[in-house]
Amino acid sequence: MRDLNAPANPLEMLAYVLAQQIHDHKIVYIGTGIPMIAGILAHKTHAPNITMVYESGGQDPLPKDLPWSVGCPFTWRKAPVVMEMAYSFAQCCNGFVDIAFLGFAQVDMYGNVNTHQIGKDLLHPTVRMTGSGGNNDLSSLTEEVVLVGVQTPDKFVKNVDFITSVGHLTGGNSRREAGLVGKGPIAVISQCGEFDFEPVTKRMRVKSLMPGWTFDFTQQFTGFELLKPEGEIPQTPVIPDDILKLLRTEVDPRGVFTTMPTA
Amino acid sequence: MSTYQYNQEALKNLQIEDTSVLDRLVDFASARQAHLRKDHAKVDKRMSLKDAIATFVADGDCMTDSGFAYVRTPHQAYWEIMRQGKKNLQCIAAPNTNHSFLIFNNNCTYSHNSYVGVEMRGIDRNYDRMLRAGRVKILSEWSHGGVALGLKAAQLGAPGLFSKQMLGSDMLKYNPYTKVMQNPMRDDPDPVVFIPALYPDVSIIHCQVADKYGNGWIYGPSVNDVATAAAARKLIITAEEIVPESEIRSRQGTVIPFFYSDAVVELPFGAVPGNMPGYYYWSRQWWEKLIRFGCASDENLKVFFDEWVHGVKDQFEFVDKLGGARWIAEARIQTKAAEGDHEDIDFSYDEFTKTHDPGRYY
Repeated sequence: MRDLNAPANPLEMLAYVLAQQIHDHKIVYIGTGIPMIAGILAHKTHAPNITMVYESGGQDPLPKDLPWSVGCPFTWRKAPVVMEMAYSFAQCCNGFVDIAFLGFAQVDMYGNVNTHQIGKDLLHPTVRMTGSGGNNDLSSLTEEVVLVGVQTPDKFVKNVDFITSVGHLTGGNSRREAGLVGKGPIAVISQCGEFDFEPVTKRMRVKSLMPGWTFDFTQQFTGFELLKPEGEIPQTPVIPDDILKLLRTEVDPRGVFTTMPTA
Repeated sequence: MSTYQYNQEALKNLQIEDTSVLDRLVDFASARQAHLRKDHAKVDKRMSLKDAIATFVADGDCMTDSGFAYVRTPHQAYWEIMRQGKKNLQCIAAPNTNHSFLIFNNNCTYSHNSYVGVEMRGIDRNYDRMLRAGRVKILSEWSHGGVALGLKAAQLGAPGLFSKQMLGSDMLKYNPYTKVMQNPMRDDPDPVVFIPALYPDVSIIHCQVADKYGNGWIYGPSVNDVATAAAARKLIITAEEIVPESEIRSRQGTVIPFFYSDAVVELPFGAVPGNMPGYYYWSRQWWEKLIRFGCASDENLKVFFDEWVHGVKDQFEFVDKLGGARWIAEARIQTKAAEGDHEDIDFSYDEFTKTHDPGRYY
């Protein structure tokens, strides 16, 4: 049973910040995991009129329980349209989708994502992971992309072991020159805070930090050199008590995504 | 000699010397011939699952994983492939979750990979071990959308499609089928990826309802199945129920035409232990046990499949192991509630973890 009065843990704080990236009346493409929490939390709070779409084809389902798969019934519950996968991704390319939320195993300073493997050799990886799934498609095609994951120097790396999904590639205009569509990643959210990308170099930059985190401390959790914004770094908005309660009772009552793993 | 111009960098990176292993997937002429040679007569194609797999899944075939990993997926047909000991299959799909288990069982040796895993339940450590042990060879790396477009091109009767997906990614360095090209309609630089039409040898599609001729009706996400049905050289339809043709004619929705189908199998509980929209929910504990216990080691997975695949004769014995009539009733309520067709229920349940086996599957 979850302790409803415990202070917010880092994953709950992260889920709240992620939800703040979602603006009302937008079309939101949701990947598996924490993005689902953020979508549902946003829908129950400040963005009741968003439309969620999924890669298995479900468009605008009636919200209910947390989806356990991007193909499960909660992604197409009473949906007016359940379309084929190819068409669902095509909507991102054609400009019908505003924003996509994606996870990662590794991310680099340009927002390039790896979900393939640890180790450089595809034939002999140290660890093989899932592969792309829809991660590459959404990152390649959607107008805006928000990345979310836990921050460690092993996950925020100088060079990802495998580029599953192109963010800003090698910075500057390289994403556009590679032929990709959309703005690419606009934000990265971790337990340390929020990051954006400096407009010219497209390098990851601290935007705000969670309570207790300093720039230097965050840098120690990062495998590449972070950019520092001008002036004082703002504090990331903290999840208010009433929304924390909602998260624990209605959005993720079983703590699937927002309880801290135990040893 | 191959008549195909594969991406040379990818061949080198994947260490593929004999490219003939790649040809079937893009061999339009043989796919067309296979479709022409099918019996186009509207005849009763019903047969047992055993006969359908024995007749239409050949060693060395390139097979697709239909449905969505554990949603309307023909798991009971996969178990039958495992029991019959098919050899040297290639597997392609989006997602490609279930070929991991065929690799472990020595049925599949080649992977056209897009995604393997059980999403929030975790990474499939079996696939990781199989790959590192050299028990599977990757022939191509894809995004879900890339596979979907290749199959869709085949359905459209197009030699291929130009895509904006996968550009700049390392997948293109490990995909012999794809090529980065300049958009021929543009003066300014505009890179696109050519994705050829993909023609798997065999597709097995589990439908809610079919008729004896092979018209297959799908409810819920059809994912890539209409495309794979049109693309594949051979198509097995398995269905929860076989209904009169007139019933199919009166339904609206997604239907795979009978003349694509080679075999029709009446297979109630054919998607067990996955989710069958309208019929039954997935067994969450079964999948947790597979990923958390089974996939943890070769020894565990052998124990797991000995119990759940080789130790059962058919889907009815499988359902009995899941909890029999009680499982059926619970799973039906759960899927209907999830779809909004049953009064709301509490979806909480007793989870399988490494330290706690609830001993129940619903």
